[in-house]
Amino acid sequence: MLRARAISKRFGAIRALEAVDFEAAPGEIHALLGENGAGKTTLMRILAGGLRPDAGAVTLDAVALRPGSPQAALRASVAAVHQSPMLFERLTWEENLALGGGTRTATAAHERAARLGFELPAPRTLVEDCALAERVRLELMLALSFEPRVLILDEPTGVLAPSEVTAFLALLRALRGQDRIVILVTHKLAEALAVADRVTVLRRGRLMASVAASQTSEAELARLMIGELPPAAAAPSSAPAAGGPPLELVDLTLDDRGRRILDRVALAVAPGEVVGIAGVEGNGQAELVEILAGAHKFTSGQVRAAGLAVIPQDRDLDGLVLTLAVWENLMLSRPLMKRFSRAGWLRRTAAIRFAGELIERFSIRAPDAHLPAGALSGGNRQRLAVARALADAPRAIVAHNPCRGLDLAATAEVCRLLAGFAAGGGAVLLISSDLDELLALSTRMYVMSAGRLRALGASEREPARLGVLMAGKWT
Amino acid sequence: MSAAGATRRRASLAIVAALLKPIAALAAAFALVAIILLGLGASPILVLAALVEGAFGNWLACTETIVKATPLVFTGLAIAVAFEGALWNIGAEGQLIMGALVAGAIGPMLGGWAHPIAVTAILAGGFAGGAMWGALAGWLKSARNVNEVISTLMLNFVAQQILSWAVHGPLIEPARAYPKSAPIAAAAELQLYFPPSRLNLGMALAAVLAVASFALLYRTTIGLQLRALGRNPRASRFFGLRIGWLTVGAMALSGGLAGLGGGVQVAAITHRLYESLSPGWGFEAIAVALLARLNPLGVVPCAILFGALDNGSQAMQRAAGVSPVLVQVIQALVILILLAFDAGLFAARRRESGAASTLAGAGFEEARDA
Repeated sequence: MLRARAISKRFGAIRALEAVDFEAAPGEIHALLGENGAGKTTLMRILAGGLRPDAGAVTLDAVALRPGSPQAALRASVAAVHQSPMLFERLTWEENLALGGGTRTATAAHERAARLGFELPAPRTLVEDCALAERVRLELMLALSFEPRVLILDEPTGVLAPSEVTAFLALLRALRGQDRIVILVTHKLAEALAVADRVTVLRRGRLMASVAASQTSEAELARLMIGELPPAAAAPSSAPAAGGPPLELVDLTLDDRGRRILDRVALAVAPGEVVGIAGVEGNGQAELVEILAGAHKFTSGQVRAAGLAVIPQDRDLDGLVLTLAVWENLMLSRPLMKRFSRAGWLRRTAAIRFAGELIERFSIRAPDAHLPAGALSGGNRQRLAVARALADAPRAIVAHNPCRGLDLAATAEVCRLLAGFAAGGGAVLLISSDLDELLALSTRMYVMSAGRLRALGASEREPARLGVLMAGKWT
Repeated sequence: MSAAGATRRRASLAIVAALLKPIAALAAAFALVAIILLGLGASPILVLAALVEGAFGNWLACTETIVKATPLVFTGLAIAVAFEGALWNIGAEGQLIMGALVAGAIGPMLGGWAHPIAVTAILAGGFAGGAMWGALAGWLKSARNVNEVISTLMLNFVAQQILSWAVHGPLIEPARAYPKSAPIAAAAELQLYFPPSRLNLGMALAAVLAVASFALLYRTTIGLQLRALGRNPRASRFFGLRIGWLTVGAMALSGGLAGLGGGVQVAAITHRLYESLSPGWGFEAIAVALLARLNPLGVVPCAILFGALDNGSQAMQRAAGVSPVLVQVIQALVILILLAFDAGLFAARRRESGAASTLAGAGFEEARDA
């Protein structure tokens, strides 16, 4: 019996897990369900020893596991397969597998692969040249080579081909038959119900329920995952202005190495509107935002935009340069750089004064504009990114997960800024994996799945239906 | 008001810290070398005195220190500009050689021109030769994704081989006696102001370029874009920076500065091409630029320090019987100790604030801004 007791974990101001209990018995497939940011991956990493909890303990058959040590977990026979595979990129797949338990030779690897019904990459292929699905299969083989008693899988089916999913689920059942504990971290309701014996649902770091799969339904699980929905935001009262919408996408299509990432995405955002795009990450959202920011080419279609500012999802990696000063970061936007330079020379004094004004206007807690952006707290860094987007009076804003990783107060603040911008006649395209945020802000919504958009009817703004649509079942 | 005062105080403290650290590193390096010397039975005081005497003992020694430092300023600036954009240009050596090669090739043909025009032409040729060599590596990186560390390193060897071939073949002097080129025209020579001292316009030009490089990096939009690209290439795509152009442009500028150093060396000192033109200035420049914390204004004093060590090493050997290689040991130790300081500082800050993002460089950023 794998048992986690009262696990709590904070990341800065964010409570990732709060006093969560979790139990899984041998011979059981246990699905861990939740939206993005619910704490699934955090709990999984604590179980596998990759993270040390702030409070609580994990025991396997009443023996405590040493917290924060993947080696100790592996010795205790707990193995994990991660969402983003943790393999050695610059080694061949054979070398990677040889680092595991029972696959020291290529022959052994082929035998195991045959038993699992897996196809292996070409001999001596570097892992960095393997497709994502191949990497997940390799990591799964690596984990199984240790013959673990507990196998934890983080969103494993996301990258498998449909034909492989069936075989994979059969494999999970076979492992269950060998009296192992299989923990499946997923957001796919149907999959969880199809294969799991028990389902545990997390929501915003709290345990919502742990029920037998036979005694629940997709609708109930969706309600547990998503919670009660806030009322819809009011539709804009102002009539659409003449001269076309500030942001319009016409049959935007992106193909990458034979895969269709975006499939004829079409939408228009009118002044005063907040158009939300819901969906599980990895369905084309990141590429869509990059295209809108002008950082990515697309295959066909059109982007019509005027005065567009983009707030990318990862403020530290995509939005800011942490070792540059706050005022310098503000200049990293084309309209502002233009406004505060003359013939290529920065107008430093004016730019620094302007930065001071923005710091005040957006109540960014930064003692002065010369500080490196990295010295600010997460919430203030996001305020800085939002302030830069709003600073030069854009007509439209694209925001990708703007509240990710922020505490409640900062989230409310960012939502208020975006809503205020729309109320003032701006157009907002909000792309998010946080349904609460989407439902609170959006005047209209779409669901994105496998690169396609589907408009959400007013009657469909209810959790069970949304959960089903986000899983890609559009009928 | 008091907040602004505190900011200013903090900024000036940061400047002091930024200046103090290389000096402390230098002192620590000398202390370590002193221990080695004591072990060898030599007197550290005598050796240090000989070194200083050789570098600054009289007016002629001082000017020779300046002359020895000049190519290090040009190549040091080349490194600083490229490294600020996270373009790890290890090829200043090859770029300097290509600059010298172009200068040495066109130099003999400039006889009919007025002095200012001939000098401008030979220096422009030096810049162009290095810029082409740097831009080649930049283009390989942006168009073909070739790691610039490898390409610039390899292009050093290519440049050296081209120079050897040129002075043995097409550019060999008319007498064909030695592997060296024909002398450049007198009109293209940089004047030596106070013979027998070899003091010339080179250091003044280098100092002007140091100020210009500083202005480019910290006062222009291009400089800000380059520094943003160097610190966060991922975010730079979202800012809509033209990464390809920035990469090629910065590498061309970097190579051009190094090439100009080669051009100055030919126009002022050697007046012709030899196979062994550079004793490795392009590599020594990496140490100079790192010691200057990539600040172009810091490159000048750091290059003079390294030039003084080079210059003093001969006298040190004569007076104290210590191999001039010892100077290279000192130079290496200074950099190592400086890096150790940074690592220590980084660790201390991380412990304090728990924020890994507060990089050790932050203090220097502040010092530059003030």
